Amino acid sequence: MTTKAKPINKTSRLYNRTFNWLRNPVQMIGIAALLLLFYTIVWPVLEMLYTTFVWRQQDMRLTAEAQPGHLTFYHWVRVLASDMSASLFYEPVLHSLAVGFAVSAISMVLGCGLAWLVTRTDIPFKKIIAFLAVIPYLLPSWVLSQAWLTFFKNQKIGGTPGIMQSLFHISPPDWLSYGFVPIVLSLSAHDSVYFFLIVGAALSSMNSQLEEAAGMAGAGRLTILRRIVFPLVIPSMLSGFILIFTKAISSYGVPALLGTPVNFDMISTMLYSSMRSRLTTEANVLSLLLIVICMAAIFLNQRIIGRRRSYVTVTGKASARTLTALGRWRRPAAGMILVLMVLIAIIPLVVLLVQTFMLKEGVYSFSNLSMHYWWGGSDPDINTGEKGVLQNPIFSLAFKNSLLLSGIASVIAAVIGLALGYVVARGKQSWVGRAVDQISFLPYLIPGISLAAIYISMFAKPTLLIPALYGSMSLLILITIVKELPFTVKAGSAAVMQIGQELEEAAQISGASWFTRFRRILMPLNRKSLVSVFLLVFIGAMKEMELIIMLVTPRTETLTTLTFYYAEKGYEQLTNVILMIIIAIVMAVYLLSVKFGKADLTQGIGGS
Amino acid sequence: MRAPLHRNKPVLILAVFMFVIMLMTACGNANTGDAESSSASSNSANSSSSSSPAADPSQAASSASSVPEETVEQLYEQAKQEGKLVVYSTSGRANDAAETFMKHYPGIKVEVSKVKSDEMMDKVTKEQDAGQFDPDVILTKEVSGAVEEEMVKPGRYVRYLPEDIAPKVDEPYRTEAEAYANYVEFRTIFYNSSHYSTAPVTNWWDLITPEFKGKVYTADPLSSPAFMDLFTTMVINSDDMAAAYKEKFGQDIELHGTENAGYEFIKQLFENGLVVLKGSDDVLDAIGKANSDAVGLAVSGDVSKNEEKGWTIQPILDIKPKTAVPDSGYLFLANKAPHEAAAKLFIRWMMGEVDGKGEGLNPFNELGSWVPRSDVETKNDMQFEDLNLWAFDGEALYNTAPKVRDFWIKQK
Repeated sequence: MTTKAKPINKTSRLYNRTFNWLRNPVQMIGIAALLLLFYTIVWPVLEMLYTTFVWRQQDMRLTAEAQPGHLTFYHWVRVLASDMSASLFYEPVLHSLAVGFAVSAISMVLGCGLAWLVTRTDIPFKKIIAFLAVIPYLLPSWVLSQAWLTFFKNQKIGGTPGIMQSLFHISPPDWLSYGFVPIVLSLSAHDSVYFFLIVGAALSSMNSQLEEAAGMAGAGRLTILRRIVFPLVIPSMLSGFILIFTKAISSYGVPALLGTPVNFDMISTMLYSSMRSRLTTEANVLSLLLIVICMAAIFLNQRIIGRRRSYVTVTGKASARTLTALGRWRRPAAGMILVLMVLIAIIPLVVLLVQTFMLKEGVYSFSNLSMHYWWGGSDPDINTGEKGVLQNPIFSLAFKNSLLLSGIASVIAAVIGLALGYVVARGKQSWVGRAVDQISFLPYLIPGISLAAIYISMFAKPTLLIPALYGSMSLLILITIVKELPFTVKAGSAAVMQIGQELEEAAQISGASWFTRFRRILMPLNRKSLVSVFLLVFIGAMKEMELIIMLVTPRTETLTTLTFYYAEKGYEQLTNVILMIIIAIVMAVYLLSVKFGKADLTQGIGGS
Repeated sequence: MRAPLHRNKPVLILAVFMFVIMLMTACGNANTGDAESSSASSNSANSSSSSSPAADPSQAASSASSVPEETVEQLYEQAKQEGKLVVYSTSGRANDAAETFMKHYPGIKVEVSKVKSDEMMDKVTKEQDAGQFDPDVILTKEVSGAVEEEMVKPGRYVRYLPEDIAPKVDEPYRTEAEAYANYVEFRTIFYNSSHYSTAPVTNWWDLITPEFKGKVYTADPLSSPAFMDLFTTMVINSDDMAAAYKEKFGQDIELHGTENAGYEFIKQLFENGLVVLKGSDDVLDAIGKANSDAVGLAVSGDVSKNEEKGWTIQPILDIKPKTAVPDSGYLFLANKAPHEAAAKLFIRWMMGEVDGKGEGLNPFNELGSWVPRSDVETKNDMQFEDLNLWAFDGEALYNTAPKVRDFWIKQK
């Protein structure tokens, strides 16, 4: 195993022997996973931590006592216990926590409610609802906040008044237009799809016999929900809660847009500011504090899950599913949901699409319609002669790269997520499982930019068996997989927790190796979860920007870096054209995985 | 039971997965400690310690600072051998110049990466410390003097000004500044020209009068260092600010617990209801879309977007005590540029060649941005040398900017 030159059969024999020796796949995979996690995550974090205790040359700007290269607590004191701390840390941290909790709570109500309606009731238009539910997530979250401003902008930030102001001549109060409320609402609209998919997958893999039995025993609908359904999905719900909490407190675009007019800062915006002002160490201290906060959240999560029994509901036995009848609420409920979804999903999308055909922004007349931004040639009067997207050679390169990056990264991420999720779910009692759980969560908390900066120096030259990845797609793929680990592992473990160990034990007795079990039992039974994860990672990777922008070289340009370039130049229509293309790709992949992956969110695993 | 379609897929996925496992066990071995691993960890320790910027100033600085004179033809011949070049640029203008360049000099492919100036610094520093030399040409804005202190002085970005063009370059960009700048912009006050027929502001202190209460917008200096540089420059030149105060109000400035007139200005600006928006475009949207009596701080070059965005905004080009501090788009060669001849040829192209008439200059010679060459005619009403700007003092900015940032944060 140590030398690669040995013949394959010998290596594999050694592998087999190691397997037999270790016996428990949780330990085997767990330890391998830990090594990988250590190299890709812990090491970068440690490096970051180290920098916070050392004076840098740049610190001479902050204080005269700086001695570059020497150890110091200055940066921590500055952030936590100086006259700057209140505005630099404590106030933003309170804002972040408030936003985090509010977004998680609202997303939970929205996402779970929707998931329940779609998977367990006889509500009509399920497929449409499931499809619409994913759309807000396809749009970058700042698009939703922009839409918010279009409606609720008041006089404070000037410009064209918001629709509410023009129509009703009421100036919305500042709290409605900017800051906490709109930040929470636009993040919730964007993120509740996580709940929808995670909890939806758990719900639909649940055997409905439990509910039927309870129903026959005379339990009311609410009692069934409260006593049976709810306890069963609680692990997935808590996973979702933590995920969205951390996503929300580390989001940057939305708070920057909606928070600045009312001086509403979050840790993420302070952190970004430190980065841009080249106060890297301060940024590192803030990131580490963010990590600590999220670790605390995970710890709480584990305390709660740990105290509950984990219920096994998938036994591999097919069962007919009966759906809760909504009765006379059937149509009104569907109608309300559809209206709501059109509001948050379709309208922003259509507005963006229409804009791509408008030669001049904001001029609503037929003569202003044009395909110029799609396939027009170079016209020096428009966008200083930038060609239509489809005519631009950079586009085809970026298109190819984006597909490559998202496709490969999401497949690998889904499988790794399930494998590590297995370790977490089955190894809950062992330190290995717990360690994998904790560590795999870190990447969400390291800002994409910091992670990328560390990765440049880690992979710029060959290290041991790993070649110099910098400048290649592999590095982009690697960092995407690492960055998505928190989500993939949570989803994986939530899925594995639903599956009875007896299935595996039976296979083991018949002599199936772990890989066979993984391939023949776990992967097929978790197919829906796998496909959901694949989809979300794919979408995330298609949209990802902050993370990869530093690692991208001209040859590895992607669609998002192209939108960045257009957006910076103020070419809004071109930006929107590419956004539309990204969304089209994602929708196509979504539909394909529904059709060929049979990953219909509205059907259960057992109900084939 | 499974559909045949899926039979092969898991196997493939599994193969990928096994490969990853093998990879991680392999690197895991190395990390757990034998002879090999110690070399690995010392490697990474090296790279992390040398990532402090001023680590090796000597080795690179000399490589291209003295420019041997090559003719355009010689450069082109060599450049064709090199076949391509890589540009890191903060501005999309490099892309426009690249397109005309490739037409004019066939056989050389230009690859432009757009990166923010601060990220570019991190990227290039890390790349060079790791022995990777990717870019050839750097087109960058300053970040509060950090580009000069952390990149130019240590020799990561290398000055390049061809001898035949140098005599036509205006100061400070000929000898005093950190490099030649192909275009100069600045942050200034904009007003809506359909509301005001003339500039409503002539002195920075006008902004703290009741007339502009709640009607001054700025892009957030906390997320845009160039905006902070303007305020920092006011702090550095606080005597100028104090004099302008006296000129405006007829009495000496009274400081309310602040260190000097520069800080006092920021404080009073906040007290007068300054509205902070995310970016320069947001500011111009705020004052430029409807008939507005408000004013806003934005980038001078944005005036060229008037037509496209449907704004009617004008920058004020003369404000007391000084209009602004220049925000220059510097041109550099990258240290150890892999395609040096092509890089030089491209820089010359962007400069507009010897006579200043080359097509490559066009994207830079725009309304609101100035080309600091005596032989290039500006599209603006005001000549570059008539602009009333503070001198850009990189070192002072570098050392003062963090304090001003702290002060700004505390005002919120």
